Amino acid sequence: MRWPVLPAALLLLLMFAVPAWACLPGFEAATTLTGNGQSLSFRSDPAPMPLGKPFALEIAVCPPPRGLAVDAHMPAHRHGMNYRPSIRDLGGGRYRAEGLMLHMPGAWEFVFDIEGGAGRARLTSAYTVR
Amino acid sequence: MKRLLLLLLCLLVQPAWAIDFSADERALIESFGPWPPPMQPDPSNRVSGRAEAIAFGRALFFEQRLGGDGKQSCADCHLPAKAWSDGKPGTGGLLRNTPSLLDIRWNRWFGWDGAQDTLWAQSLRPLLDPVEMNSSLAAIAGLLRKDATLACGYRQAFGTAPEADDERVAVNAAKALAAFQETLISAPTPFDGFRTAMAANQPVPAEFSAEAQRGLKLFVGEGQCAVCHFGPGFTNREFHDIGIPYAVRPGLVDPGRHLGIRRLRDSHYTLLGPFSDDPARSTGTETRHVDLLHRNWGEFRVPSLRNLAHTAPYMHNGSLATLRDAVRHYSELNEERLHADGEKLLRPLNLSDTQIDALVAFLLSLSAALPDFPEAEPVCRVKP
Repeated sequence: MRWPVLPAALLLLLMFAVPAWACLPGFEAATTLTGNGQSLSFRSDPAPMPLGKPFALEIAVCPPPRGLAVDAHMPAHRHGMNYRPSIRDLGGGRYRAEGLMLHMPGAWEFVFDIEGGAGRARLTSAYTVR
Repeated sequence: MKRLLLLLLCLLVQPAWAIDFSADERALIESFGPWPPPMQPDPSNRVSGRAEAIAFGRALFFEQRLGGDGKQSCADCHLPAKAWSDGKPGTGGLLRNTPSLLDIRWNRWFGWDGAQDTLWAQSLRPLLDPVEMNSSLAAIAGLLRKDATLACGYRQAFGTAPEADDERVAVNAAKALAAFQETLISAPTPFDGFRTAMAANQPVPAEFSAEAQRGLKLFVGEGQCAVCHFGPGFTNREFHDIGIPYAVRPGLVDPGRHLGIRRLRDSHYTLLGPFSDDPARSTGTETRHVDLLHRNWGEFRVPSLRNLAHTAPYMHNGSLATLRDAVRHYSELNEERLHADGEKLLRPLNLSDTQIDALVAFLLSLSAALPDFPEAEPVCRVKP
């Protein structure tokens, strides 16, 4: 039996494009990223992300992964942060990353490395701090 | 006629802008103030902001018996008349120049390499450093117990006589020294007057020249100086390699921030250590998360640009004698001197002499006259 193309595509879309808020109700994110079967939402504490001061990220990953790492760098300057964030697993796909600091104004890129059931996913998000 | 008069009046009170600033530039300039910023006591130092500790710390600062040889005080290198620096480049065993103590309370990291995360730890370090004051915990504590006036000052500051534990007494002395240094705050400058006038759309104060305005335009624009020198203190309070050689002489290298982070991690005089008075360790986030990276080699603390008129020579080793030399350094930056991980941001600015003059004029506008520093009353009047 051959699968019709459209339903199969829809099924694939449902399998790989599950936004975090869909399985983590009540999590209000500023940004949601998707890729490789994972969806990640995050917001900063405090918001907006400050320049030159430490802040935390509240993160929700769906489906809940086995592991998560977060970092940030300035692509134009070829350097990252001076601080290594620590990540606390709050359970059920929720995380809190602490100790981030954007020490220069300009374009930053956040990098989230997710160790999920479907393998590894690297999701990125651009942010400009003034 | 009335309209004409009004128009003339408007023209007369128009700010004397030498140049136009864009909305983004105005917002950036606005972020360079107000000055001074709000002052919060240091939660890791229980006597921060307390008058008795400030008076005791001031007495200790000028106390020559604190030196290992009994003849050297903090004030021998941090001279009030030189904005609490000494005007000398790093020489001999001291590879680095003596930084000003003005506005030091707003530092995140202390020392050119940031090996300390509190002002009290930074105050203890030179007391014990063999190359600097070469004293010891026992000698400091012994002096404070033996001398009636200092013991009285200690009692007033900490509510108890100097304890039997040498380390505890010496750290408390450092906390009183920190409480005193927290009061060393520079006055508002001609730039601050300009910033206030700009925000209120008032005429430019005469003290802020047209040349300084052109320098400010370069500072926030083409020069990209504000990428590292921002906020009311004109610093991001972090560390960068700006191409100043860190090989001091054959066989001797100053590793800068790389060594600073290693020293911080080895020290127990930190925000996370047993001598912090803040049980919640509420200000320890940066200490907990600071990362040791290869690029930290040759990085040094980004200093505040306030008070530059009083704090020559410049750079961590005091190798540049004048402010003009410092601006010229960025203008003619030798990219070969930036080590392999050097930041792509840095490139020679190739400034004209006129542009260098303008930047220097702006930088000089970030200094106010130094206040007189009158003699203090004795911290205690003890009968012989």
